[in-house]
Amino acid sequence: MDNLLNLITFIPLLGMLVVCCLPKTATGLIKGVSLVATGIPLILATQLYFAYDPALGADGGYAHVLNVEWIGVIGANYYIGIDGISLPLVWLTTLLLFLGVPASFNIEKAQKAYYALLLLLEVGIIGVFISLDYFLFYVFWEIMLLPMYFLIGIWGGPRREYAAIKFFLYTLAGSVLMLIAIIALRLDSGTFSIPELVALAHNGQLTGASLPGGGELLGMSFYTWAFWFLFVGFAIKIPVFPFHTWLPDAHVQAPTPISVILAGILLKLGGYGLMRACFPILPVAFVENAYFLGILGAVSIVYGSFVALGQTDFKRMVAYSSVSHMGYVLLGTGALTIWGTDGAAMQMFAHGTSSAAMFLVVGVIYDRAHHRDLNGFGGLSQPMPVYWGMTTICFFAALGLPTMSGFIAEAMTLVGAFQSGDTRFQALVLFSVIGIVITAAFLLWAIQRVFLGPLNEKYKGYPDMNFREIFCMAPLLFLCVLLGVFPHLILDKMEPSITHLVNLLQSAAN
Amino acid sequence: MEAYADGMKAIAPELVLTALSLVVLVADLVMRGRNSRIVGYITLAGLAVVAGMLAMRVGDAPQTVFGMVQVDSFGTYFKLFTVASVAVVTVFILSDRQERSHGIGEYYFLLVGAAVGIFFMVSTYHLLLLMLGLELLSLASYSLAGFHKGERKSAEAAMKYVVFGGLSAGVMLYGISLLYGLTGTLELDVMATQVGDAMPYGLVPQLDYDVVPVGVALVMVLAGFAYKMSVVPFHFWTPDVYEGAPTPVTTFLAVASKAAGVAALLRFIGALFMTEGVQPVVEWYGDKIGLLLAILAAVTMTLGNLSALRQQSLKRMLAYSSIAHAGYILIGVATLEADGFAASMYYMAAYYFMNLGAFGVVLYFESTTGSDRIEDLKGLGWKAPLISIAMVAFLVSLTGLPPTVGFYGKYLLFKSGVDHGLAWLVFVAAANSVVSLFYYFSVAKALFLNEPSSRPALSQPLFAALLAVLGIATLWFGLRPESIETFVARCLL
Repeated sequence: MDNLLNLITFIPLLGMLVVCCLPKTATGLIKGVSLVATGIPLILATQLYFAYDPALGADGGYAHVLNVEWIGVIGANYYIGIDGISLPLVWLTTLLLFLGVPASFNIEKAQKAYYALLLLLEVGIIGVFISLDYFLFYVFWEIMLLPMYFLIGIWGGPRREYAAIKFFLYTLAGSVLMLIAIIALRLDSGTFSIPELVALAHNGQLTGASLPGGGELLGMSFYTWAFWFLFVGFAIKIPVFPFHTWLPDAHVQAPTPISVILAGILLKLGGYGLMRACFPILPVAFVENAYFLGILGAVSIVYGSFVALGQTDFKRMVAYSSVSHMGYVLLGTGALTIWGTDGAAMQMFAHGTSSAAMFLVVGVIYDRAHHRDLNGFGGLSQPMPVYWGMTTICFFAALGLPTMSGFIAEAMTLVGAFQSGDTRFQALVLFSVIGIVITAAFLLWAIQRVFLGPLNEKYKGYPDMNFREIFCMAPLLFLCVLLGVFPHLILDKMEPSITHLVNLLQSAAN
Repeated sequence: MEAYADGMKAIAPELVLTALSLVVLVADLVMRGRNSRIVGYITLAGLAVVAGMLAMRVGDAPQTVFGMVQVDSFGTYFKLFTVASVAVVTVFILSDRQERSHGIGEYYFLLVGAAVGIFFMVSTYHLLLLMLGLELLSLASYSLAGFHKGERKSAEAAMKYVVFGGLSAGVMLYGISLLYGLTGTLELDVMATQVGDAMPYGLVPQLDYDVVPVGVALVMVLAGFAYKMSVVPFHFWTPDVYEGAPTPVTTFLAVASKAAGVAALLRFIGALFMTEGVQPVVEWYGDKIGLLLAILAAVTMTLGNLSALRQQSLKRMLAYSSIAHAGYILIGVATLEADGFAASMYYMAAYYFMNLGAFGVVLYFESTTGSDRIEDLKGLGWKAPLISIAMVAFLVSLTGLPPTVGFYGKYLLFKSGVDHGLAWLVFVAAANSVVSLFYYFSVAKALFLNEPSSRPALSQPLFAALLAVLGIATLWFGLRPESIETFVARCLL
């Protein structure tokens, strides 16, 4: 029995239990255990990454599959596996959570509880990425919510209680809609297994016919409401305009390492969920609404960038840039081309690294100045040159400068959308380009306001980035550059699975 | 004589329980307040004996005894959980240091007496015995609600309970008398199936003449069940009584008393609408009763959840939350199908764990802070971490989040709802679950999201252990629910 995925998922849980048993004064030991409990999954995930044979994904196959009966009464199995779409995301999760531990070293309050919750969070996130049984998927999906609520609510900023409960309510609302759709799918098909559901959908057998009333709900046909319920559930996570309003509050109020994890990986769960568990299972509804999804994506890109332009709070600006960047995911997938979906999947990884780095950037200055007012800084390049250099690289990665992974991702997305041959999509691409320009604008303007210009006397004696901060940020920036110059390192692994997915969706278009 | 002895053997648990109540009363008299804890331990011992007797009977073939008592696994299921709840409530009373020690025997006497009422209520198809059991439960509950005689709130709770309970019982009795007049019998299983010669006034022939009296009778009897279950519009007593009664009594009412109502309702609906050979009744009334129950469910859960949002008192908030949960349970009943009933039964089991735990935590914090206001809980989570984390587990389960037993129960209810044409109701229930998150987590927020309180936390290790066990059970049965599911399957009507 291949236990690699189990180890990656549950070693953090073991770490959490160990941390819970330690006395709360043994902070050094707690941090050490957390490092080990997140470091081992990272090593295993790296091994997993290099050992993965992409050809497995060519016909929708999965690697390291494990399928055991869990709750036989309802037909829920512990069914896990990994393919080209989830592989990079699993690796990114282990990396970000491993880097999240040293990023959290300056948290003083209740450290034992903090690291325990952090480890529990990792279990939930990785679990979602590897689940192939819809019930298991849902359980892992919800497991993430509780640690996030406490992590934001206890260690966050001044409005943390509001932000935490808003995040929880918003995401839960999406989740219960997902639950209803999952139940309906199960009743119609008799299985929870996602690959089986995809196969049934491909054969046109998932039509709601087995449900009472043909599966009608609130006047909508089964196909329609199931698709929209699932879509809304995942769209809230991405977040897509207009479901994004929880994001700025959650990001701004959360402590830096939690913002890093939230932006770096939690948002990707939405995009991943759509690609894995929504579009292939309800392909006809997806194809019918693909253009509308493209519109939502394009609007997110442009709207997010414009709102970011208007921000004076550094962290809020970065939060809205996340909304903008994640719009590419919907635009790319909606176009129904291989390049578009490839770009979307790569954008998830690229944004994961660049956005995480951006939040670390904000964290560095916030730790010193205790404010995030962009207009209140100035000339920081003088006392903190290393910080200036790393931030510039980071922001160039975020704005999609060529040689950065963000460029590859955004370019592929836009070219893929253009390639779709649908003039409406081509119009969307032209519209989205505005977003690229505005993104460059606000990022460069932020660099100018914070680093360039006359030095504000207050900041004269500021220490430059210490080893810990560089250690957290450097790997992310390195990845941005590496994948910008050698994108095949990730595209090779993803390509067959994505091609298979797009072929599935395109065949439904016919 | 043989039949008499066999009958007595069949209701041996009830007899032992009755004897226990008397023993407890006498023991307290004898002790004269010197060693009141012993009375509690005697109660626990007796309950353990009864539980053992019940456990041996699970899976036995159903039998009717004395023409009135139906001894079957369905009844045993609810009886076992009742015994468990009374045992936990007894532990609560034992741990409550502020509870008086003089005359505590009456407390246990009333509790066990109420349990006897529940036992008969859940194991009968005869409407008169049902009424007797219900009244025994109610009368004991009225006294229990007013047990803190010096407190104004407690007395007010008891008064309101008596008035409301009397009214509801009267309405139900009138409905029962109408059913008797229409059919000539008080036995539910006979009432539904008997047609023609042997029973000249069966329900079925009545339908050919006039459907209105039958409808009125059914609705009036349902009113009685609605009162016990705190279903809208018979829920008005719940918040005041739950808030005013002593917390162990509230626990008992919220858990055991409500479950008794659910069990009796399941039996009532099951006998009249789901037995074979009642086709005309099912066709004419079946979907109407189902629709009525579904609408009641929707209204109940919405009203319960919306009212709970504004509550400052923890007990009152949990009272409204229990009203909402009655609504969820009704989803399973409204499906009028076996898997819906099974889902309701499973949810009752989950409900036991969650609510016993939640009220236990309330009792603990009440002893610490002296009040049951949520804002007085601020920061106590850091001082009493084990109990507070258990509370978070119960709150998560009450909201219906995985991987808890409450989620699995909701999943089963939702599944049975969607499977039997009640998808709109499932949608309402899902929306309600999201709303309920807000007020459940206001407790978690108070406990953890504030600075650690300066108040010292009481150290009650045994109590904490019990709550920890309940908390772990909430999580465990959420991850491996098969044990309860198979238990439910064996005990289904």
